Amino acid sequence: MMTRRSALTLAFTAIAASWALRGAATTGVPPQARPAAAPPAAEVVALPNRSDSLKFAVLGDFGTGDRAQYQLGEQMAKLLARFPYELVITVGDNIYGSERPQDMKRKFEEPYKPLLDAGVKFYASLGNHDDRVQSRYKLFNMDGRTYYTFKAPKQDVRFFALESDYPKPEQIAWLERELENSGEAWNIPYFHHPLYSSGERHGSHSDLREVLEPMFLKHGVSVVFTGHDHTYERVKPQKGITHFVTGSGGKLRRGGLDKKSGLTASGFDTDQVFLAVEIDKDQLFFNAISRTGAIIDSGVIERRKEPQPQP
Amino acid sequence: MRHPAAVAARALFTGIGVIVACVAAVAHQDRVNPQAKALAAFQEAVKKYVTLHEQLERTLPDLPKEATPAQIDQRQRSLAALIQGARKGAAIGEIFDREARPYLRKLLYGIFTGADGKRLRMAIQEENPGEVVTLRVNGRYPDTIPFSTVPPQVLRNLPPLPEQLEYRFIDRTLILLDAHAHIIVDYMTGAVPR
Repeated sequence: MMTRRSALTLAFTAIAASWALRGAATTGVPPQARPAAAPPAAEVVALPNRSDSLKFAVLGDFGTGDRAQYQLGEQMAKLLARFPYELVITVGDNIYGSERPQDMKRKFEEPYKPLLDAGVKFYASLGNHDDRVQSRYKLFNMDGRTYYTFKAPKQDVRFFALESDYPKPEQIAWLERELENSGEAWNIPYFHHPLYSSGERHGSHSDLREVLEPMFLKHGVSVVFTGHDHTYERVKPQKGITHFVTGSGGKLRRGGLDKKSGLTASGFDTDQVFLAVEIDKDQLFFNAISRTGAIIDSGVIERRKEPQPQP
Repeated sequence: MRHPAAVAARALFTGIGVIVACVAAVAHQDRVNPQAKALAAFQEAVKKYVTLHEQLERTLPDLPKEATPAQIDQRQRSLAALIQGARKGAAIGEIFDREARPYLRKLLYGIFTGADGKRLRMAIQEENPGEVVTLRVNGRYPDTIPFSTVPPQVLRNLPPLPEQLEYRFIDRTLILLDAHAHIIVDYMTGAVPR
């Protein structure tokens, strides 16, 4: 006899499958076959895949060496074949547990071998599970620094990798200076601890927000990428800034999103996810892609033109 | 011309005034000095440690720009071994000494019991393993224990440290971590109020 729960599951699956098919029809970068378990999503916004745009991926909380990390790595490689992204920014917890040479291989070099072989560069930021000496690891492109900035190879974009685990006053002063001096249209900070998050495990880091958010507002930041909570979440714009939590690149906290936080624009806590991003002039397109290749969130963000007045 | 008695009285009052001022200054110094003295002693101990760290680090070959994970790991462990050898017998309280401890505790209690205290305590205690970890001065920081997040509001109120060292917390214990060698330089229990 069919229980109420299994009837609900069946109904949900049918809705999800129909939405997945709709998504496949509307995506510019064709998604992989959608699993029946994909959630009902809004209309998928295709990545335009323009020749002169900046294309990159965002990955967080991934270095477990587990099967799920490898499977998400495979999806990242599949995407590369049809969406040639040049770099990956990591939002920390790059390596969990031991960090011996064999761990760097098993928890990083092997799962992303196709990307590394294709010349995709990783630009890491550090999380609370990461030894500071990762800053010397050449494949993380940190050049010995635990916080740093770099100009993107295309478009008018500058990234800021921050060390949110240990934000010394020197780093805060440095960031203020660098944002002030940045002539780029897009200033994109990325770091481990989310300023806004519906993650039940950690949630929003208001202590960090108090210090960083006024700077982001002052200097016209439009998007912020973080991790730490092992879920995917796109937070409703906060004071005009869109915050992404992409902390399920290997680790996953099933059911880890607080559905009642009121913060979530889109959330996903049932599978591993990475984010594919494309910036072309004043628009940022994104697709959040799960371990099965399903696009579980997508959209486009317009760059904020005017800095917000200080609160 | 003034009367000699008036001159003598004036001299007496001036003398008393000077004495009172001196006593007050000494009393003021006594009030200020213990903290300044504790801070100076702590900074001196840190400086001494960092000098040793730098001397030992200089004996190791520089890491090439394109260092492999094996070279990075080898260098970190070699540095740790050199420091551990040079500080053989180092005991708890060598850096957080008897003068620094009450000073730092007072500072930290001020931070963690202030208006934002609860929020800051929660931030540093995220993923905190509790009392299960046995800490050892000069020992390697456990690989399986994540670092405590140290909020900016805490860092800006603690005495600044050179680049080689970091403040971290495990349970209610403040740890002085050598971030290059990944070893515990010293620790102080009861640093965070319950």
